[in-house]
Amino acid sequence: MTNSTLPDCEANSTSTLPEQPGVLVVRKHHLLVRCSHWLNVPILLGLVLSGISIYWASPIYQDKPDPTTGNFDVAADIGIWICAHVPGLHHYSSPPDWIYNHMSLGPGMLALGLRLHWFCAYLFMLNGLVYVAGLVIGGGWRALLPRRTDLLDALRMLRYYLGFPFAKLARRQWLHPRFNTKYNALQRAAYFSVPVAGLLSVATGWAIHKPMQLHWLAALFGGYNAARVWHFWLMWVYIFFLVPHVILVFADGWDTLRSMIVGWSTRVGRSGIIANEQ
Amino acid sequence: MNNEEKHDSLQGKDTSSTGVEPEMKSVSAKKSRSFFGERPLPAIEMAPRVLHYQSRRDFLVFGAGALAALASGRFLLPQNTLTRLGVGRNTDSPAKEWFLNRALRIDDDVAEALYSVNRRVPTYTKSQITPLKNNYNGTTPDPGYISGWTLTLEGLASGLSISLDIRNLLARFPVQEQITRLVCVEGWSAIAWWAGLRFDDLLRAYSPMSQAKWARVESSVNLDASGNPDPYFMSLDLETARHPQTLLATHFNGQPLTVDHGAPLRLLVPVKLGLKNVKAITKIAYVAEEPRDYWAERGYSRYDGV
Repeated sequence: MTNSTLPDCEANSTSTLPEQPGVLVVRKHHLLVRCSHWLNVPILLGLVLSGISIYWASPIYQDKPDPTTGNFDVAADIGIWICAHVPGLHHYSSPPDWIYNHMSLGPGMLALGLRLHWFCAYLFMLNGLVYVAGLVIGGGWRALLPRRTDLLDALRMLRYYLGFPFAKLARRQWLHPRFNTKYNALQRAAYFSVPVAGLLSVATGWAIHKPMQLHWLAALFGGYNAARVWHFWLMWVYIFFLVPHVILVFADGWDTLRSMIVGWSTRVGRSGIIANEQ
Repeated sequence: MNNEEKHDSLQGKDTSSTGVEPEMKSVSAKKSRSFFGERPLPAIEMAPRVLHYQSRRDFLVFGAGALAALASGRFLLPQNTLTRLGVGRNTDSPAKEWFLNRALRIDDDVAEALYSVNRRVPTYTKSQITPLKNNYNGTTPDPGYISGWTLTLEGLASGLSISLDIRNLLARFPVQEQITRLVCVEGWSAIAWWAGLRFDDLLRAYSPMSQAKWARVESSVNLDASGNPDPYFMSLDLETARHPQTLLATHFNGQPLTVDHGAPLRLLVPVKLGLKNVKAITKIAYVAEEPRDYWAERGYSRYDGV
């Protein structure tokens, strides 16, 4: 009792309660990994919103200027199309700005967009260091490394996901492929790719932020203009990752979502299997 | 084994997933030898109460973090954006301005640290030249100013104010040609063929006063969008002015500058964003303190190094 690090109220209650049976848990995510995971949510949101505001000033994707409006921005064309075809949007006041009004801070906010983007970008880089520190200290990095068997296993998982709705409809049993690792091959591919995309986003970001002092970095991505295209599409990696990520976390259940907050999981079965087979 | 001992060992386990302490019940049988091989997650037995306590603590901490993130979003996002999100109250405050300016200064300091007077920017061949649009922010000035144009130098070591016309400048200084990229803050860029005198040569011929650290580069002929006079002024650190590729350009694509590109003399500083490349310069004043800057007053950075 004297060397207990828990608050007194916890310790005192022990003596009055009968000993309860223990719960078997595994520690899945290091505290630093959990912190950086959640910090990515506001930081990436800020980066995307401000980034699209910056994109507005000089869109990468342009077509021939419209003879009547002078519009040359493909994103504005998409906004015009949406307002023309989506019910309820016919009277939208500024169709060319629709995309920017809904996916960015807004049009005509370059100076603010840049300031917020730099602010979030420095936070994103610091957060990346926190994440790497958490992976190293907690040893979690090993679970993310690609394996030789990943391609075949990824196909098995893909088959499972594609067949899942049909099996449900047909009320047939549809078994999840068994893996004796922390993540299945598809998860591993995703969780490995996203940090790599983060690294590439930072690198392409510096390449287009400082294309003269860091011209070698811009050259690595095919020059200044190509680095802008890289930077733009890397943003879509996060968006394309996020949608299935959120769906699958909820599909997988409370234990998985909770483990990213509290760190532990009660699913000990798989880890036991790894131990026995290795 | 009582509960207190369990607590202690669990606290100690927070940063380690490999070491299994004696009182933990581990299910793992054998450990992987390979350094890169995935290690089994050791199963540990915990008292439900401890789990409950730790979970509640973590949920509270992360919940507080989520609230803090919301609050900082409200604090940092521009009013226009918040209004669209349904936050009506005006959140623009001096603190927000100060905070974002602070972040901008950090980025400027990084840019300044990256700069080296010896690091040249890439140069290109004539086949790589791309079109360069007239990006005058307001109305392009009437070419009438060109005939009576002079460049005024102030803040010189001699204490004099000097006026030079374009013939003086071209006769006195060697002309340097370069094909470099001009990068705009908006994101577009253009590779163009420039010729002119080196700013460094001008600094050597007319030395600034000893305490000068900055040049205030000004164009009095600049107009706003409705055609009214709107002098353009910009700060340039003398370190950058001395860069071997910083030109006072007189020629564009082999021809004397046109009004569109800042006839008869414009600043060409490829290590800075395009907005520092003042067209139709009429005055350069050397000063000790950082001078005002047209675009910095409109929310952009002051250093603008690329």
